[in-house]
Amino acid sequence: MRFAFSDEQRQFQRSVRELLARQCPPAEVRAAWSSESGRSTSRWDSLVEVGAVGLLAPLDWVLPLEEAGRAALPEPLLETTAVALPLLAAVQALAESLDHGAILTVGLDGALVTDAHVADLVLLADGDALHAVAPSKLQLQAAPSVDGARRLYRVAWKPSDATLVATDCGAALADAFDRGALAASAQLVGLAARLLEMTVEYVKVRRQFGQAVGAFQAVKHQLADALVAIELARPLVYYAAYTVTQRRESRSTDVSMAKAAASDAALETARVALQCHGAIGYSFEHDLHLWMKRVWALAAAWGDAEHHRARVAAALLDGESGPRRIQ
Amino acid sequence: MKILVTAKRVPDPEQKVKLKGNELDQSATNWQLNQFDEYAVETALRLTENASAGNARDGEVVVVSIGPKDVQQQLRSTLAMGADKAILVAGEDAELDAEIVARTIQKLAERDKPDLILMGKLAADSESNDAGQRLAGYLGWPQATFAGTIEVVDGGKALLVGREVDAGIETKKVTLPAVVTVDLRIVAPHAIKNGKTAKDHAYAEGPRYASLKGIMAAKKKPIEDTTLQALGVTAQKRIKTTTLEAPPARKAGIKVQSVEELVQKLHSEAKVI
Repeated sequence: MRFAFSDEQRQFQRSVRELLARQCPPAEVRAAWSSESGRSTSRWDSLVEVGAVGLLAPLDWVLPLEEAGRAALPEPLLETTAVALPLLAAVQALAESLDHGAILTVGLDGALVTDAHVADLVLLADGDALHAVAPSKLQLQAAPSVDGARRLYRVAWKPSDATLVATDCGAALADAFDRGALAASAQLVGLAARLLEMTVEYVKVRRQFGQAVGAFQAVKHQLADALVAIELARPLVYYAAYTVTQRRESRSTDVSMAKAAASDAALETARVALQCHGAIGYSFEHDLHLWMKRVWALAAAWGDAEHHRARVAAALLDGESGPRRIQ
Repeated sequence: MKILVTAKRVPDPEQKVKLKGNELDQSATNWQLNQFDEYAVETALRLTENASAGNARDGEVVVVSIGPKDVQQQLRSTLAMGADKAILVAGEDAELDAEIVARTIQKLAERDKPDLILMGKLAADSESNDAGQRLAGYLGWPQATFAGTIEVVDGGKALLVGREVDAGIETKKVTLPAVVTVDLRIVAPHAIKNGKTAKDHAYAEGPRYASLKGIMAAKKKPIEDTTLQALGVTAQKRIKTTTLEAPPARKAGIKVQSVEELVQKLHSEAKVI
């Protein structure tokens, strides 16, 4: 068996990278902090046009999601592609009437809902039942995020027969949580890789004591450690994408391994990036914080590293290997 | 309309190239499609579709490259953008120059009889900007270089080409078949008028991205493998590379205290005024 992405999957990854390099440069990420909706309709339309929205298999979306992380994409590709659409498909409610480029988001088990203000449909769990609610029927209360480009909402709503999509779909909801954690892991790997690149570029040109600061071992070793952490996390993410796609019994544990490693790697890379940038890294005007704060937000979202390590421990010690929603 | 587009792979311009002796160290090189050739592919696609009717195709776009087997990757990306067919002429980068390229495309044009040959205005590696001109001369076809706009006129028998020249925009009418080399602004939203797409249609800025659907479709599109010998190309390389070296590192500048000091240094040290 050749455990590698196909040429077509890699080509699509390059295509998404080129698209985001052109349409989601740092200035656009920064603009997402202050613009009213924080979202770009034309960028979302471009992602729909190339086919990045609506990929149901994790092996197909994991690389585009990594690129989304790399570019610190503000739009809800994770929620729409990785969680909501496969969830609707799993409960056989993926209606043809749903617009091809619709923005979907989810609220599972009381978690804050991202991008409810721009969503066409919000999927909400009520116990083991799944509801689909139009944002106009929700009461939205904005919640602060450390990442200003991330728009979070507390939602107040009333479950009803009119909103009910499916009952007894606890297993599908548990799978949806796993896919969210996996997609967040992919984004974290992309974010960390970009942070490391930015930092390596910076330490090559920032000079002190007559030489580039990157020449000092104290800097080089930290960056090497960050690279090792990213390179260890990435195959875990890819393997989890494989087992989730294949619906292997171990998939939840694999996702937890990936999320724990990706969260740790990205947090450590963000720390190293900040230290190697020195004082300028703390300034709002420098781009570093746009990526760093996304790391902080996503490392905590969809279960932090501690939560996922506990799931791995439970699987190893107690044999609890099936998908489980966050407690 | 049948369009032949040339596509060359070049080292990534963003990457610092490494030299090995008198040659480019290819093991350390990231290759990509020459940007102006990518614009040429986009131009060909815009000329052969009706963007006002769901990009319905009306014509054929054939992309040709000369290079080693690896160039298939760049050709596949043009097929994923929407080109119909590709031709790969086997050859090594170091053994090619504009003369051999022009003679090769001439042979292909005589064989396949396209209505139009589109090329990038130059390749980002050599920047020689002469393959298109040579080709038009050998074929005896009209040429329009540095195209920033193209409009199909006379019922598809001629093109009105806006050329970017030093004095501004020069508009030139060329009857088909012709050779056109394209410049940066050919991928602006309103640069192409093909007589089918609504005149006010605005394309997205820049060449299109390869969509997942396009990438999957490209798997089934043909890439013809051929050789210089099979095409009957007998031209010999006319450019000889005697040495290849990186430009000298830039020296640090100096700060001057006043305009007077600046003028004095420009006069006595730089000797430019």
